[in-house]
Amino acid sequence: MFLIDRRQMLALAAWSAAATKAWAQSPLTTAEHALYDAARREGEITWYSGQYSADASEAAGRAFTARYPGVRCNVVRSTSQVAFQRLSQDQRAGVAQCDVFSSTNGGHYIQLKRQNRLMQFRPASADGLLPMLRQADPDNYFQSSFLGIYLMAHNTRLVSEADAPQSWTDILDPKWRDKLAVGHPGFSGAIGLWALQMRTMFGPDYLRRFERNKPQVGRSSIDPVTMMNAGERGVGVAVPSASTLFAMSRGNPLKLIYPTEGVIAALSPSAIIRNAPHPNAAKLFMEFTCGPALSIAVRELFNESIRPDVQPPEGSRPLDQVRMLAPSLEEAERGVPEVREQWREIFGV
Amino acid sequence: MSAALRPSRLRLLEPVMLLWLALIAALLVLVAGPLLKMVLVSFEMQETGEFTFQNYLTAYGRQRYLDALRNSLLLGALAAAMSVVIAVPMAWAVSRTDMPGKGFTWAMVLAAFVMPPYLGAIGWILLAGPNSGWINVTWRALTGATEPLVNVYTFTGMAFVIALHSFPLVFIFVKSALDLISSEMEDAANILGGGTWTTMRRVTLPLVWPSILGGFILIFLETIALFGTPAIIGIPARINVVTTQLWQFFEDPVRVEVAAAYAIPLLLITVGLIAVQKLMLARKGFVSQTGKGGERREVKLGPWRWVLFGWCLTVGLLAVVKPLLVLLQASFAKAWGRGFSLDNLTLRNYRFILFEHDMAPQSVWNTVWFSAASATIAVILALLVAYIVIRRLMRFADALGFLAMAPFVIPGIVMAIGFYAAYAGPPLSLYGSGLLIILAFAARFLPIAYASSQAAMRAVHPEMEEAARILGSGRLHAIRKVTAPLLKTSLLGGWLVVFIVASRELSAAIFLVGPRTRTMSVLLYDLTEQGNFEVVAAFGGVLLVITMVIVGIGMKLVGRDFMLRRE
Repeated sequence: MFLIDRRQMLALAAWSAAATKAWAQSPLTTAEHALYDAARREGEITWYSGQYSADASEAAGRAFTARYPGVRCNVVRSTSQVAFQRLSQDQRAGVAQCDVFSSTNGGHYIQLKRQNRLMQFRPASADGLLPMLRQADPDNYFQSSFLGIYLMAHNTRLVSEADAPQSWTDILDPKWRDKLAVGHPGFSGAIGLWALQMRTMFGPDYLRRFERNKPQVGRSSIDPVTMMNAGERGVGVAVPSASTLFAMSRGNPLKLIYPTEGVIAALSPSAIIRNAPHPNAAKLFMEFTCGPALSIAVRELFNESIRPDVQPPEGSRPLDQVRMLAPSLEEAERGVPEVREQWREIFGV
Repeated sequence: MSAALRPSRLRLLEPVMLLWLALIAALLVLVAGPLLKMVLVSFEMQETGEFTFQNYLTAYGRQRYLDALRNSLLLGALAAAMSVVIAVPMAWAVSRTDMPGKGFTWAMVLAAFVMPPYLGAIGWILLAGPNSGWINVTWRALTGATEPLVNVYTFTGMAFVIALHSFPLVFIFVKSALDLISSEMEDAANILGGGTWTTMRRVTLPLVWPSILGGFILIFLETIALFGTPAIIGIPARINVVTTQLWQFFEDPVRVEVAAAYAIPLLLITVGLIAVQKLMLARKGFVSQTGKGGERREVKLGPWRWVLFGWCLTVGLLAVVKPLLVLLQASFAKAWGRGFSLDNLTLRNYRFILFEHDMAPQSVWNTVWFSAASATIAVILALLVAYIVIRRLMRFADALGFLAMAPFVIPGIVMAIGFYAAYAGPPLSLYGSGLLIILAFAARFLPIAYASSQAAMRAVHPEMEEAARILGSGRLHAIRKVTAPLLKTSLLGGWLVVFIVASRELSAAIFLVGPRTRTMSVLLYDLTEQGNFEVVAAFGGVLLVITMVIVGIGMKLVGRDFMLRRE
């Protein structure tokens, strides 16, 4: 079983604290310099985000504020669909409050771009991203800022390793009735991607059969991790690897399952909103997001690094050894709202 | 009397008249405006604003949406009925009998009232989760059973959790009514051969029937407007209700029009309920207070008094002690599922929420300042309206009183949608500003302030003010120097109650907050979204400490029972 002992944990903490400090103090790049003064005059940036967990988002916000003194990052963390709902409410009221929008549901960006609500900007630091993340949009309206791995996990006290499901179709077996937990596509962007991917791979009947096992429905994709920690449910479906690894580091008896078909990989962008009240700070934030500082900050909480020059987190399988599944952004734009509606018909909520 | 007043009013009131006009304007902005706008919007086509019935067809054109409405009505009725069952024996015991532990019962009722319902809901998830809840774990360990004893993720489970935090309203209503009944009526029944129980059933309870009904209706209304508990318990339990459905109408693209259309029937139901209440009470007399000032004696219950105390104790345990204990445990735990052990203890959750969370300190400040501002606005408005109504200073004074009481029967979430529709966008564009939330809170809780101001105002005879005015003081000066000081205690009591209920309000805030104006309740809701109950519990602890300080101040200044008094 994977567990970091106290010494390793301390060493890791010391290393990452030192590294964070080093990056916080490392000289600003030319691109950052060019934006910093204007950003400081604006003083703050408001970030609607559904990508990283609350802890990791706050850590990222603090890292930003530490690196660019005088520019404050207001972190507004919720699930991705709720973040998008807030953005829509702003738009409907005609009030600009959001500078940078980060959602796990890439389809949101296709819609926002089509509605001409995004600002064109390519951060120079995007050139240093993992190759698969370097160019999210040929027109540079949005950039990749998040690589989330969604898989399964089990509570080892309730479900032994031998019994644990191995594939996405294993959980349709009636023996998993009342033992599963999952998030909700009306809240979580990642669960929307997962449901869409399952429908594509296994047909429209998948969700209906999944429902027959009466999974406990939460809101965020992180909800099932809590349910497994508590022992309420034995298997978490489409849980983020980061939150699961974090829960394991706190002593919860969980284990990751890499399904045989592959994991859901949310390669999710961030974008500056066209009428952003702090455009320069927003650009600086995008430089920060694609640069090493963000990856270092979120890596400590077991999120995947999005750059090759920052180590992946402890305990997760190297990316070149996992098969990644994901709908395209265009498929997500059309498919996620559909599958969300279908979900509500099937599950009643 | 009014004829005698009139000339002096015309002579002295010129500048004050402006204030009255401002007051009317304020009531229109706070109460009538949002409601009117909502009704209008419900008939508007999105984008074009043309007249249409389409919103109603969309809002009620689906089985799922109708189911949500039915679920809400059932949930409201069930939670209200449970509250009555819980509270009426307690109220009777505290008011009329020699039951021991009355102080304890008071404290439990007060605590259940102060605790935000969504926090109680989280506590009950930790207690009554079918597999992991403490109650079920203990039950299985004791009996070896495999099935859970209780399951919070059910319709009755959810109604029960709601009732545990709503029953204090019935308690307050019924107890204050019982306090007024003199023992002579019961004596009469006793003489005619009725025992204690028959008397209670046939005489005492029927006399307080209006209060029971009033409490029932109020809880029904509060329940159908509740957002937090249905989101936290209802989604895993697969129960969709009106409020969670309204939330879906705010998904992209935001369909305020459909949401408004969906909410209008709630208003009609409310109006209908009030009408039914009037009808049911119309044909009977419930006068228990006469000029003869009867004596009130405690009913001697013998051993039964311990049964009643057991009931109060159980309610206190279920509503307050147990949820608080598990929340406290979770807030200091690394992983709450691991239970009580030393190596599971940590301060990390508190550290995160107090020092590492960007928004938490801001939200604490927002909560305090929004609640204080809205309480101040509500109390000042309520005082002035009550003054006008009681002193009959204007022809349409009663209409003002009606406006001030109207939000009482408007579900909070409906109010929020009205505020969003009316003031979020142009021309005022208040969305994202604290003012929008302050105004919405002030409007929502105006009736509480009004009820307490009105009752207090009735108790002040105009002659004291008249004395001041004869000596040359203007109307406002007299109010400031004579009336307000006399009312100080009641006003402060009203202010504190509004402050407390505003500080825990979620359903009116959820549609109105912006990134910089999130309150503690909204942030708590955001945190529950990712199921991090340890941090949620820690933040809930902070919220409870703040509320406790305010309640403590209130008790010090106004008296021990300020929250539960009903004038």
